[in-house]
Amino acid sequence: MKIYICTAILAIKKDAQVSCSGEDINTLEWHDGNPTNITNQQILAKQSELQALEDVISKRIKEYGSIAEQIEFITENGLDAWQSKVQAIKNKYPKENN
Amino acid sequence: MAYIGKQPTIGNFVKLDTITTSATATYNLTNGGVAFSPQSPNHCIVSLNGVIQSPTTSFTISGSTIVFASALTASDVIDFILVLGDVLNIGTPSDNTVSLAKLTATGTKDATTFLRGDNTFATAGATAGQVIQVVQATDSTARTTTSNTFVDASSTLTVNITPSSASNKILVILMLCGFGADTQNTNARATVFRGATDISPSNGFADNNIVSGGSYYVGAGNSVLDTPNTTSSITYQFKMQNSGGGNTARVNNGGFSSLTCLEIKG
Repeated sequence: MKIYICTAILAIKKDAQVSCSGEDINTLEWHDGNPTNITNQQILAKQSELQALEDVISKRIKEYGSIAEQIEFITENGLDAWQSKVQAIKNKYPKENN
Repeated sequence: MAYIGKQPTIGNFVKLDTITTSATATYNLTNGGVAFSPQSPNHCIVSLNGVIQSPTTSFTISGSTIVFASALTASDVIDFILVLGDVLNIGTPSDNTVSLAKLTATGTKDATTFLRGDNTFATAGATAGQVIQVVQATDSTARTTTSNTFVDASSTLTVNITPSSASNKILVILMLCGFGADTQNTNARATVFRGATDISPSNGFADNNIVSGGSYYVGAGNSVLDTPNTTSSITYQFKMQNSGGGNTARVNNGGFSSLTCLEIKG
């Protein structure tokens, strides 16, 4: 899933009031006057950070499989085996701060 | 009264100039000193010495002359020559010569009416409920906002329209594509403003709150029959918000949106 500019801004300041057109950082219109002076560089950095995290999570979810597949695995191999598989997937796709 | 033979289009009844007789059968015919040519002897009533003459037998017409059956004398008196109708071809009327008064059309003839094909003057322009003009704006650029109050988010969905009458209404139609919030359980709301006034009855033209499942972004739209009560130029502008705040409302997430305004005769 794509991380949008507004998503990144809200991750920096959860009550920010801002509009954006065409996902262009240069079109930002601050409705609250940007009281904490969030810069475009901060926004793009946060967007990259969140996008990287989102990509990792997406890869993990894909390898976990559907709920039906997970239940089937646990039924056939037991919970310990499932926990081992989850840890292996996490090790394969680590988060930067995890 | 019915006519025998061809009915004259235009009658032209003329009493010709007085003729002084002499010892001849042929005389020039004039009207006001200008040569006059009757269509035929049968178009003429000629009185000679107090006796009406028989056309063709007592006289004939040759161009602008009358020829009696025999020569007259100076003592004879042509009492009058009356030409009873001359079939005229009026040809093509000159420019700016035919007035409305010449028309047989019924109805009121004034600046607010026009002549219909059924020869009736009818009121010009639209009647109540008909569309007078249509103005539309479109936008295909993705617009997002985190504002919890209505903002235009730089959308180009702006329509300027000038009603032709203060009694006319404006049908405002907003159609959105890819509209919603980036997160479930948060409200994306869209509306249309006339100047500084939100014209929606309540909660905007569209209110998208995806609780669970499905896409966050949907096609949405609504319409309002607005009564601006003015003949001045007015502006209708799309606006949106994330009503809960702390999240993103989005429109044109793939596709385009439109704002259409129709002036309706009141």
